[in-house]
Amino acid sequence: MSLVAEAFVSQIAAAEPWPENATLYQQLKGEQILLSDNAASLAVQAFLQMCNLPIKVVCRANAEYMSPSGKVPFIHVGNQVVSELGPIVQFVKAKGHSLSDGLEEVQKAEMKAYMELVNNMLLTAELYLQWCDEATVGEVLEDVDQCCQALSQRLGTQPYFFNKQPTELDALVFGHLYTILTTQLTNDELSEKVKNYSNLLAFCRRIEQHYFEDRGKGRLS
Amino acid sequence: MGTVHARSLEPLPSSGPDFGGLGEEAEFVEVEPEAKQEILENKDVVVQHVHFDGLGRTKDDIIICEIGDVFKAKNLIEVMRKSHEAREKLLRLGIFRQVDVLIDTCQGDDALPNGLDVTFEVTELRRLTGSYNTMVGNNEGSMVLGLKLPNLLGRAEKVTFQFSYGTKETSYGLSFFKPRPGNFERNFSVNLYKVTGQFPWSSLRETDRGMSAEYSFPIWKTSHTVKWEGVWRELGCLSRTASFAVRKESGHSLKSSLSHAMVIDSRNSSILPRRGALLKVNQELAGYTGGDVSFIKEDFELQLNKQLIFDSVFSASFWGGMLVPIGDKPSSIADRFYLGGPTSIRGFSMHSIGPQSEDYLGGEAYWAGGLHLYTPLPFRPGQGGFGELFRTHFFLNAGNLCNLNYGEGPKAHIRKLAECIRWSYGAGIVLRLGNIARLELNYCVPMGVQTGDRICDGVQFGAGIRFL
Repeated sequence: MSLVAEAFVSQIAAAEPWPENATLYQQLKGEQILLSDNAASLAVQAFLQMCNLPIKVVCRANAEYMSPSGKVPFIHVGNQVVSELGPIVQFVKAKGHSLSDGLEEVQKAEMKAYMELVNNMLLTAELYLQWCDEATVGEVLEDVDQCCQALSQRLGTQPYFFNKQPTELDALVFGHLYTILTTQLTNDELSEKVKNYSNLLAFCRRIEQHYFEDRGKGRLS
Repeated sequence: MGTVHARSLEPLPSSGPDFGGLGEEAEFVEVEPEAKQEILENKDVVVQHVHFDGLGRTKDDIIICEIGDVFKAKNLIEVMRKSHEAREKLLRLGIFRQVDVLIDTCQGDDALPNGLDVTFEVTELRRLTGSYNTMVGNNEGSMVLGLKLPNLLGRAEKVTFQFSYGTKETSYGLSFFKPRPGNFERNFSVNLYKVTGQFPWSSLRETDRGMSAEYSFPIWKTSHTVKWEGVWRELGCLSRTASFAVRKESGHSLKSSLSHAMVIDSRNSSILPRRGALLKVNQELAGYTGGDVSFIKEDFELQLNKQLIFDSVFSASFWGGMLVPIGDKPSSIADRFYLGGPTSIRGFSMHSIGPQSEDYLGGEAYWAGGLHLYTPLPFRPGQGGFGELFRTHFFLNAGNLCNLNYGEGPKAHIRKLAECIRWSYGAGIVLRLGNIARLELNYCVPMGVQTGDRICDGVQFGAGIRFL
């Protein structure tokens, strides 16, 4: 389909309300899913919870082949299939739900910048760790430290990055940090770096408690 | 005494499971009359020597097995008949381009007064033959390279290789075939292949990389084939608008299966037969030799032909099949049956009958039947020549494709297969292409159409090898 046709179809879809049976697909937990994919999936789940949209998580071995772009996670909503956090945020916005509408233009730009920072630093670190598990990870850890420092400074003592309301940046940061903190790796240095920043730890715990436990979802495994 | 020549006919295609009969109206030998006419049939003869001219790389033992019967002939007519049969067997091996038979009296010191010498003059096929084609179709162009090495090691082994390089996909096939010396019907072959297919009716793209090993043997009048096959299948969506049911099947899977097929074919030809019957039964068991699909699949094909007055033929055919998945996993779209199209139930679009969710998903059980009446073209234009390749045909097709609920008993299955029957009738012209394929142009009237089926009423064109 051409871009114009796709835009048209998504406009039509936007008119429909969010259905009860929306599903998110990811690979199998435990034995199959990779660090970076797990972080991406958690980020999307956190985002949808923050928007108050019900989503059911289904694990399938062929999730990455089912996805139209080849990347996980993807959501199946009504007749539409959308993959990756960026397009999902756009899709949800078209349906009238948004977390960053209240922000001013400057803040929106800032948010985008921080999201890019997380993608460049934390995501790269996760990819490095899952594919090249060497002793000389000095540079990678340096980058992670810098990224966490920037995030920690921005967060300060606020509950969320942009004061009282969570945005997609919060969802993305939560996805990555939670994955790093909880996944068992042969090398613990990455999670040690994150643990140095207590306000980031508190942030993760807060989001986990508020959006995942309180809603009766139970602990995230 | 005169010499007897066997006229050389065109070389026949080598034997395989689809080979039906030794060709139509095979010519027998002709005898040059001599001035002194003797009553040749009653004279007792002894075949003393059998000579072979023209053998190169072919080994002796397979030749000896094929011509053993010639020595048993007791009179001249038997010698001629047995030589002819031996010649057919030699051609069937697929290693000779031409075989001529010469029967003459014995000359030489040890010659008996009624002794005969039979000489087979053969021309072996070349060691390597190749072909190169380009094909264009369906927004894709491709080059196809074919290589054949007949009689590789001297005992009728054959290696064929085909490679197709296209703008969208590449595919290849390599196959090694070896018959048992003296018993051509027992043969063994190993194949290695990669094929890709696009199925727009299901919005599905499939790539299969696999290998198979099969062994064929005859039992009385039937031919059996036992095969193991291992395939790595990759399924994908053909477009972004594929339905979710097809999207769920995307990905990789491995199938390892054992199958057995039995064929009884008494027809005089596989395309437009005049008489005889065909029965093919095929079973496949997957999952017990590895792989991650597990099922048992059964399908059969039956065809009966009878010649009627005025050179017309009545034909009835019946197909059916069932797929039962073993274990909890549902069946894969790549294993299910499809129905509809110019080679199956005419009047419906290709594979466009049955369970669907915007895309046709195939079904686990089906049956289809057809009744045909073939007659020569009205007023018989081109009789005896080109016109013989055409036939008019009147047909009635019916069938059903559905998924069965395996918890229920057979009565429930039959009831489910008997409800919502699709059927069609019509007439058209059939053109025979050699001994392999046929073209049809029909006017069809589809009936019993269910919601979701796609029809092609009016004129429908079809080309293929296997028609309902």
